[in-house]
Amino acid sequence: MFQLSTFTVLLLLFCFYGLTFLVSLRVGRKDENVDGYMVSNNSIGFGMSAASMTATWIWAASFYAAASAGYKFGISGALHYGFWGALMILFIYPFGRRFRQLAPKAHTLAEIMHARHGRSSQMILAGSNIVGSLISLMVNFTAAGALVAVLSPLSFTHGVLIAGVGILTYTIWSGFRSSVLTDFGQLFAMIFAAVVIIPIIFFQLGGPEIFAQGMPRITPEQASFYSKTAILEQGAPYFVAVLAYAIGNQTIAQRLFAVREDLMKSTFVTATIGYASIVIGLGMLGFLALLAGIEPQDGDLNNLIPQMASTYLPPFAVGLFFIMVIGSLSSTADSDLSALSALVMTDVYGKNIAKGKPNPKTMLFVGRLTMVLATMLAMIFASMKLDILTMLIFVGALWGAIVFPVIASLYWQRITNAAFTSAAIAGFVMFLVARFELLQMQGAVALFFELCASIGGGVVIGLMAFGFFGKRVGFVMGGLAFLILAPFAFGFLRDYPVLLSSLTAYGVSTVVCVLVSLLANETFDFDCINERVVAFHHNVEPATEKGATPCPVSL
Amino acid sequence: MSSFALTLYVLIWPAIAGAVMLTLCVSLWRDMRKAKREGTDLV
Repeated sequence: MFQLSTFTVLLLLFCFYGLTFLVSLRVGRKDENVDGYMVSNNSIGFGMSAASMTATWIWAASFYAAASAGYKFGISGALHYGFWGALMILFIYPFGRRFRQLAPKAHTLAEIMHARHGRSSQMILAGSNIVGSLISLMVNFTAAGALVAVLSPLSFTHGVLIAGVGILTYTIWSGFRSSVLTDFGQLFAMIFAAVVIIPIIFFQLGGPEIFAQGMPRITPEQASFYSKTAILEQGAPYFVAVLAYAIGNQTIAQRLFAVREDLMKSTFVTATIGYASIVIGLGMLGFLALLAGIEPQDGDLNNLIPQMASTYLPPFAVGLFFIMVIGSLSSTADSDLSALSALVMTDVYGKNIAKGKPNPKTMLFVGRLTMVLATMLAMIFASMKLDILTMLIFVGALWGAIVFPVIASLYWQRITNAAFTSAAIAGFVMFLVARFELLQMQGAVALFFELCASIGGGVVIGLMAFGFFGKRVGFVMGGLAFLILAPFAFGFLRDYPVLLSSLTAYGVSTVVCVLVSLLANETFDFDCINERVVAFHHNVEPATEKGATPCPVSL
Repeated sequence: MSSFALTLYVLIWPAIAGAVMLTLCVSLWRDMRKAKREGTDLV
């Protein structure tokens, strides 16, 4: 396999991070504003915000996983990865409008939950956000280490260290504002590389001829756009995760609060198209590898893209590919650092330690310290090569269990803090039982879980329809989805534990949340959220306690 | 499915990505001019 020389790799990394650092200096301020550090000025333009959202959502794993899906499932594989991933951005849009309407000055989604319910709901959301961002940071550092080790004589640890220090250097001073500004350049590098690399590899493999030679070699399932295996093993679990990842990811929430309000729709739609085109396009490399009969090195599908790049690209294009992957992982990692700092600044320091009366200077120090500690932790974890998949399963489950409570809390006045908390716990526990088959999935037990999963399916479809078309359509679509899914689910879903457990988390959390809320007799005035969630900088009044008397919060 | 359709299926994605990038560049250029005119920050 072709490798870049140590000098070339160091030069590319130095140029990339050096240039990014110089760009970030353009927004550097001696006296940084804490709100600006977390969400900029709440009025970023279309080009910058759409580019930032796209760049953030594309991480190094997007390329490798999309190509793996293309290689495993054939013609529809890349679509089943990239299309649903793109929809995650689109489906947060209608709910995002509601978040902005209720709390225009919010910094995190957990902060809104604090205003709506109180501490326990806030910390469930903030805690899952923090763990999720830390895992994402670690995955991106791991990808940097692996890329440097595969494409150069340098070691894995060298790659992790250079990426960690490089990203921290340009993000620490201006936080979110640096992240957004540098995202544009990083996305430009990614798209330029994708536009050049995909056609080069396609024509190097023989162009249209590859279909005549390769299609007869693959299985009928891989040659079909409607492959059942691709839908059940790739598309469906990913579709179920659409709302969970969108709600559970602070990086997207941060951009949601930063973009100019009237530009939200165009921003989200463009980011959806941008993400889909880049990721599906790179996923096509996996499909082409399948048609060409290429075997992944050491049987590891993650090697597929670097392997194709180094085999079929001229040296300058290998350099472009290297920058593309470094750009993708850096843009996500700097967003993770900004997300982590905002969560600790707002939800840990601002709301809990300072009790709503934060000192802006201390708050800024807390944010920067968080970035340093998070980078160190992620570099250590990356070097230990921990089992990322298991951790992602747990975080994903918690996100699935809080989707309904979070969304319903901002539309239905009767949801209580107890309902939110008990729903999240019940959904998470039942997920664990189904995912790890702690009970034998047979007879009545299996039927019970399949019923919960069918309700979960109805909830997912209902929430998606509700977001775009309102309450009535949401209820009808959710009910219909349940009625259609249930007969197929019974006796069938028990063989697909990933799908069964994900849907169970949605179903159980929804039922518990609704029942516990109905048992209580509380109503909430949504205007209170705007009174409680305000800017931190130069905020003399204790913001969170201001509306405490007329707006009851259960703790 | 014909080779032409499959070729289109593979190459349409980088073409769309290029179009998105062009849109974003034009929009950023406009935002930068506006920010300069009004004396405000981009981010």
